[in-house]
Amino acid sequence: MQIDYGKPLPRISPDNAPFWEGCREGRLMLPTCEDCDAPHLPPGPVCPHCFSDRLVWREASGRGTISTFVVVHKAWFPAFAADLPYNVAQIELSEGPRLTATILDAERSDLFIGRPVTVVFLARDGIVLPYFRPATAD
Amino acid sequence: MKPNAVIVGIGASEFGRSLPQSQLALGATALKHALADAGLEREDVDGLSLHLGWPLGSDYDRYAEAYGLDIRYVNQTWLHGRFTGQSLQSAAFAVSAGLADVVACITAVSFTRERGFLGGPGDVEGNREEGGSHGEAPPYGLTAPAGGAALGMQRYMHLYGATPEKLAAVPMSMRAHALRNERAIMRKPMTLDDYMTSRMVVDPLRLFDCSLINDGAVVALVTTEERARDLRQKPVRIAGMQGIRAGREEFIFAPRGMGINQQSGRQGPARAVDLEIYRMAGLERSDMAAFYTYDAFSPLVLFALERFGFCGPGEAADFVQGGRIGPGGELPVNTSGGLLSEAHVAGWNSIAEMVRQLRGTAGASQIPDARALQWGTCWGDGVILTS
Repeated sequence: MQIDYGKPLPRISPDNAPFWEGCREGRLMLPTCEDCDAPHLPPGPVCPHCFSDRLVWREASGRGTISTFVVVHKAWFPAFAADLPYNVAQIELSEGPRLTATILDAERSDLFIGRPVTVVFLARDGIVLPYFRPATAD
Repeated sequence: MKPNAVIVGIGASEFGRSLPQSQLALGATALKHALADAGLEREDVDGLSLHLGWPLGSDYDRYAEAYGLDIRYVNQTWLHGRFTGQSLQSAAFAVSAGLADVVACITAVSFTRERGFLGGPGDVEGNREEGGSHGEAPPYGLTAPAGGAALGMQRYMHLYGATPEKLAAVPMSMRAHALRNERAIMRKPMTLDDYMTSRMVVDPLRLFDCSLINDGAVVALVTTEERARDLRQKPVRIAGMQGIRAGREEFIFAPRGMGINQQSGRQGPARAVDLEIYRMAGLERSDMAAFYTYDAFSPLVLFALERFGFCGPGEAADFVQGGRIGPGGELPVNTSGGLLSEAHVAGWNSIAEMVRQLRGTAGASQIPDARALQWGTCWGDGVILTS
């Protein structure tokens, strides 16, 4: 699935490149500390909890809940004007760190804090981005 | 160490929308007025503390060149409103340490001309690694600082039951202050219905939750107590300060720990370290005759009140009801109308108002016998000014 050209793309850095490589493979990867076992976001060069250098990338469940969200009604950015209104949410992953992304297939009434969501991956302009969808009951 | 620093002059340009002058021209007007106010000459200014450099404003070297200044101390922060207090603090450090005799804090904005920088494609701010510093996520279309304030307010409403009707008390109170201020851009009364029917900008924030987009300049001149004795105005002392807070428990537009970005989700009451400004000033919070804050978005007022313990976590939406922060209230906030209704001069319009209040020259906005006033932001920095 392709989305409109002209929207900003993430900046890939040495610290976050494995996150974006994981998305390309359909896997949500978290930098995780081998010393204190804590995952973190956004990806950094050291563990922000214990300052260890021993980071490894582990696959997350892709499940989480909406911790906060907004619905954008103003066209600050022309490339998004056709999408108005659209939501942007922060998702608290079940592993703990929070990620910001849009919740797909969600009306305003589907958006509430605590709502379970699951990750989906969509290609756009040569990169794959994580999005979320309201979770269906198990 | 207490700073040996006083504000001895303030000046402003006109405030308005689509003013024809450049930022440098607006700043020159404000500087001339501030020098005349203080009884100082241009040649006395040997320090600059600038709050909004390129691309929103001009840089320190251009100011010095354009105004013919000869400068030996410079501070310039990057282009955010958050650095109001820090820029004033840097001026205080410089004169206290003898690095400058007179520091001009110059803030000049042409927001109406530079709109593309405010969340649009020209806003390179949001495109840094891992997004911008207000929670921006440009790949998903969250490109403006207002989005960050909305992220904070949505969760605050969820946690504490605050409602849009309660939040309305913030912009309505700012408007009530502005009605007493002839410089204010917004001079029409705001009703609850006006607020509730204003268009949604970024849910849960409406148009009237967002600061004005305007042009204007303010200059404040800072020197030492000793130097101030020879000058025209009764000096206003910088009596206490504390710095900006940062870390994983902090998000610029939310109370500490509330659960935005990587905050733990454990918001607690104000701690001793949050209140060190009062200890430096040798004053109590209850000594503050009014509170001044960076009201770029109305939730920021709530979060700042909680940050400094004027009320407990989750209590601010109730605290601001019943005219408490309006004219004649128990704790007036932004008595000239703030960024929401006077003008967005990056908080310096409120710093100038604090000086007028402490001189007793605030006209219809004057708080009787105002002796101590606080600047404090929801990102934790503060400055206490005393007469």
